[in-house]
Amino acid sequence: MKWWARSSLRTRIFLAFSALLLAVLIATLGLAGLIVSREAQRTLSRELLTTGEVFEELLAERTDRLETNSILLASDFALKRVIATHYEPQTYDPQTLASVALNYQRRIGVDLLWIADETGVLLAGSPAGAAGRSIAGSSPLREAIETQQAATAIAEVDGALLQLVAVPVLGPDVIGFLVLGQAIDDALARRLREDTGSEISFLTESRVFASSWPVQTRDRLLPAGEARTALLRGPTAHKTSLLTLDGERFLSLVAPVDARITEPLHALVQGSYDKALAPLRALQRRIAAIGAVALIGALLTGIALAGGITAPVRALVDGMREVVKGNLRFRSKIEREDEIGFLARSFNEMVGGLEEREHIKNTFGRFVSRDVAEAVLGGRVPLAGERREASILFQDIRGFTHLSEKLDPATLLRMLNQFFTEAVAAVEAEGGVVKQFTGDGVMALFGVPKAYHDHAERAVRAALGIVMRLEALNEQLRSQGLPALAIGAGIHTGDVVAGLIGPDERVEYGVVGEAVNLASRVESLTKDMQATVLVSKEIASRLGPGFILGRTAVLPVRGSTQAVHVVEVLGFERQTMTLSAPVQA
Amino acid sequence: MHRSRVFRPLSYVLGLLPIATALAADPGVSGRVVDAGGKGVAGAVVFVQSPADSAAPTGGHPRAAMDQVNKTFVPGVLPVAVGTEVRFPNHDQIQHHVYSFSRTKSFELPLYKGQDAPPVLFDKPGVVKIGCNIHDWMSAVILVLPSRHYSVTDADGRFTLSDLPAGDYTLAAWHESSRTKLEETLRPIHVTRNGGEVSASTATDAATSGITFTLTLAPVRSRPPIHGTRRDP
Repeated sequence: MKWWARSSLRTRIFLAFSALLLAVLIATLGLAGLIVSREAQRTLSRELLTTGEVFEELLAERTDRLETNSILLASDFALKRVIATHYEPQTYDPQTLASVALNYQRRIGVDLLWIADETGVLLAGSPAGAAGRSIAGSSPLREAIETQQAATAIAEVDGALLQLVAVPVLGPDVIGFLVLGQAIDDALARRLREDTGSEISFLTESRVFASSWPVQTRDRLLPAGEARTALLRGPTAHKTSLLTLDGERFLSLVAPVDARITEPLHALVQGSYDKALAPLRALQRRIAAIGAVALIGALLTGIALAGGITAPVRALVDGMREVVKGNLRFRSKIEREDEIGFLARSFNEMVGGLEEREHIKNTFGRFVSRDVAEAVLGGRVPLAGERREASILFQDIRGFTHLSEKLDPATLLRMLNQFFTEAVAAVEAEGGVVKQFTGDGVMALFGVPKAYHDHAERAVRAALGIVMRLEALNEQLRSQGLPALAIGAGIHTGDVVAGLIGPDERVEYGVVGEAVNLASRVESLTKDMQATVLVSKEIASRLGPGFILGRTAVLPVRGSTQAVHVVEVLGFERQTMTLSAPVQA
Repeated sequence: MHRSRVFRPLSYVLGLLPIATALAADPGVSGRVVDAGGKGVAGAVVFVQSPADSAAPTGGHPRAAMDQVNKTFVPGVLPVAVGTEVRFPNHDQIQHHVYSFSRTKSFELPLYKGQDAPPVLFDKPGVVKIGCNIHDWMSAVILVLPSRHYSVTDADGRFTLSDLPAGDYTLAAWHESSRTKLEETLRPIHVTRNGGEVSASTATDAATSGITFTLTLAPVRSRPPIHGTRRDP
């Protein structure tokens, strides 16, 4: 699912939307298909069952009609009279009887007509049969002789299937029998098909007697062999089964037909399942087409909707990228009343805040140390203040008052700023912070807010750095015809209280303590000692090897009863500087 | 033929037989026709099968009548001796077409009304089934017997042959529904007359008044109407 995690919100909304729609469409189609095919099968089954019933009724009706016709025919006095001729050898005339049989067969339009005597001996038949042989054992004549009443049966005569009726001829007692038959043949099957729309066949396991299927397709469209055996022997009562024949599916119904033949006779009713399903399939295709159009429409809507939701989000994301790159001037132009609008407004406020903070940081940075600014802005300065050990450096330009009177203000400030730039660079090079500019000098802190274990050494190196840089600056000033500058720097270390000092609006980072005052005193002693860099003995004791120390002195300090033990620092390692007599401006 | 039928009362049958009435006083030879269950069979005919009554009466053929009343043949069973002429008077207001295709006698009296139909001579013994061509339900039997000695059983199956002279006879019993062949009913008897007393003896029946014929009757079947009821539906 990595791609999912990677994909954009818009893609996800779109995909989810599409998947949902597709699922609904597929479910609808599937359900429709299921219902449709079930309904088709049910309808077809009903049709087949109806066909089965119609067929049974038709057979029964045919039998009734045949029986009625037979009885009417048997009541014909002329026929009785003709049949009675067989009683007397001199009146018995088989040829006349045969032609009578043909006549009556044509008159009532049956396929078979037999005339038998009262014992079942065939007297004449149409189609012509062997007169004189007994047909008493054949159904339904046997039943008719037994009961002396009309009897019906489906039986096989010369390989053809016939519906037969045997009726006694009464004169007024039984003087003979008439047997009439109607063929159950392809014509009947076709007529049944026309009436019901289902294909119908009359068959046994081994023979097909009649079928509405054309003869040439019968082999393919009727189940054969074991399939037929299974079908005919299976549970048939009002049950349909699905058979595939010649690539087409047929719903089949098997109805047993009572017949007096060697094998059980069945009527097989078939309806093409595929054809029945065709209009429903067309409907399904139409639903699918409508569904596809709807899906496309819905997807387009989805795209638009997803775009509508994600476009402002993407705009915000783009804005965020700008901010990450540092462009804090970026503002979202989204104006909405919804959640997105709220997000956009919040974004703008947030970036505004960031910009202001950055501005403050930059502004601070110009006057105070970047380290202090960052420490304050980063919240690393405890508001309640803290007691820390730090080294404090005070530096001063000698004879500045005199200089300021001699030079024009612009030149003076330019010189001053050039010097401060070098001084700040030297302080920051050693990790110190310039706490404040004192007009003609700087006050710098080492060990606060950033703690260094060697803050004393750093402070001394920074002071030496200022001196070195000043030499380069003086070269420059001299080349411009300007006077060179001379400085004095005093350093002391001790415990101070560091923290944010001042009212809320003008709060600044600062240190207070005796050590700060003492450092300032040490600086003031540089004039007395004619020294450039003077440190207290607390500083000197912390300096490692490499620092070149000069004179030491114990001098009284103004405003203090205690004397201060100071040490002059001449240089550091090989960078020994000649601290000549202070340059007199 | 096994048809349900209702016989006319015996007395009515006898009333049409002058011979029987004339000899009513004669105690005659009597007996009973019963079915397999021992129940008396009404409407059976017991007659002398042999010797044939060759003594044909002088002055023409004996006469009998098969009436048609209410589209029904009356009587349903008419025993006659060979050589009897039977008339078929029609007492209905409609025509009838009386016929028979029986081997014994085949004849036809095409549509007619009233008394004018020519009599039909029954000159061969046997069973003649009579029908009406235009009324399927009308049917009757004329039983042509070899002798004029016969009797129709009453409701209880009793018969009396009242004018038998002394001598040896073979009796037979017939019923329309009988399945017992006529040959199997044959019963030789010896009749002796002693004044008013008539006694008959058979090989099996010691008693003179107890000649019993047992007939197996076909079960009565119901038939579809029109096609075979004997009476006007």
